[in-house]
Amino acid sequence: MAYEAGGQFELTIDKFTFRFPNDLKYSEAGIWIGREGSRFRLGLSDFAQQRNGDVAFINLPLPGAELKAGDELASIETVKVNLSLPSPVMGKILEVNAIVQEAPELINLEPYNRGWMVIMQAEDLEWENSKLFNAETYAALAKEQAETDLKS
Amino acid sequence: MTQKKVWIVPCSGIGKTYGSVARESAFIITEDLRPEKTQIMPLARLVPDDSDVRPEIRHASSIAIDGCKLSCAASVVAAAGATVIHALQVLDVYREHPDLKPAGIAGLNEGGQKLAAVLAEKVAALVDAMEEKHNA
Amino acid sequence: MPELPRKKVGLVSCSGEEMPEGTITRLATRKVLETLRPGETVTICLPLFLAGGEGERSFTRCYPTITIDGCEKRCAAKGTEQLSSKPAVSIVVAELSGAPRGFGTARRLNDAGMEAVKTVAEIIAKNVDRLLSKNPGDREREV
Repeated sequence: MAYEAGGQFELTIDKFTFRFPNDLKYSEAGIWIGREGSRFRLGLSDFAQQRNGDVAFINLPLPGAELKAGDELASIETVKVNLSLPSPVMGKILEVNAIVQEAPELINLEPYNRGWMVIMQAEDLEWENSKLFNAETYAALAKEQAETDLKS
Repeated sequence: MTQKKVWIVPCSGIGKTYGSVARESAFIITEDLRPEKTQIMPLARLVPDDSDVRPEIRHASSIAIDGCKLSCAASVVAAAGATVIHALQVLDVYREHPDLKPAGIAGLNEGGQKLAAVLAEKVAALVDAMEEKHNA
Repeated sequence: MPELPRKKVGLVSCSGEEMPEGTITRLATRKVLETLRPGETVTICLPLFLAGGEGERSFTRCYPTITIDGCEKRCAAKGTEQLSSKPAVSIVVAELSGAPRGFGTARRLNDAGMEAVKTVAEIIAKNVDRLLSKNPGDREREV
């Protein structure tokens, strides 16, 4: 997949530039979700990966796992944080990215390409009406969060 | 023929604790473990017009110690024309030793100090292997 | 072109490992970032800058920078000028007037070295203030 080919929003704060491909939707927790027919691919947004630091370890669910929205989709550990990432949608895990389990740094280096985390089946997700944010709205939220971080 | 000293090039990145671990490990190698076989080469000295360093670059064998996967030290050393024999990242060594969680940039915590020591031992072994190969 | 909502100053330290002055630059820069002028300064990671980090280079093109070098080689200042733009201020620890010698080692600064960190940090901070000053006359006069 090449989500960035469809154009993207960019936000620059100080020396940091955060990218938000337009074809994706985003959760407040920083998960991106891309639609591929009847399947959905999920990963960690560029903003969330930069904010949390280099991923040293990642735990992903097993294929076949059924998740409700809010259940833990993945957990990551960086030197800054141990973070539990909630699933933005209800669905079934079809596939997990074995490469990212071996090389979690891909989440930082290629958050929208080789750094994807899972593929899910989410039959109840209404893409156009979901509560997920589009790129522009998520970028505005990211800007608020970044400015709060800088003040603290 | 006496082998020249191996350049140890830490990234010393100032934005992450990993950079401080890389820096500390370079001190441990060049001052404690293998002072007669290694020397620190500050990364910034490899900018193109440093005339002190330029004559040595082509003949230099280096071990780059980077904090993270951006691998700045390895790329700058290679771009300068020196040979990167080994490139290590602190992040990889941390994954092998998750109990040694580093913290701090201006001052490393105990976990970071120990991680630097572990990394330094790895590099020392690589330096020894390089010497064996050279003498073979 | 990045959005420029608030002016900040970029700090580029050499962090050189060959002499204690290099360590002084590193610690003084962190002190300014964390304590003296938080929110007004950004540290530029020199390795990333040299390796082509576009964020670091863009920032130094758009904002004023202060380079802090340990010695007369001025690696940080030269690198900044070659790869981006001339720094607004170039500080060299070894050239500071009246700077005492004997700071310890690059690995472990002694008490004099730690005092030098405070002194250099204050000099950086004053230059940050000057560069961010609304008074153009202040900006011209290096501290």
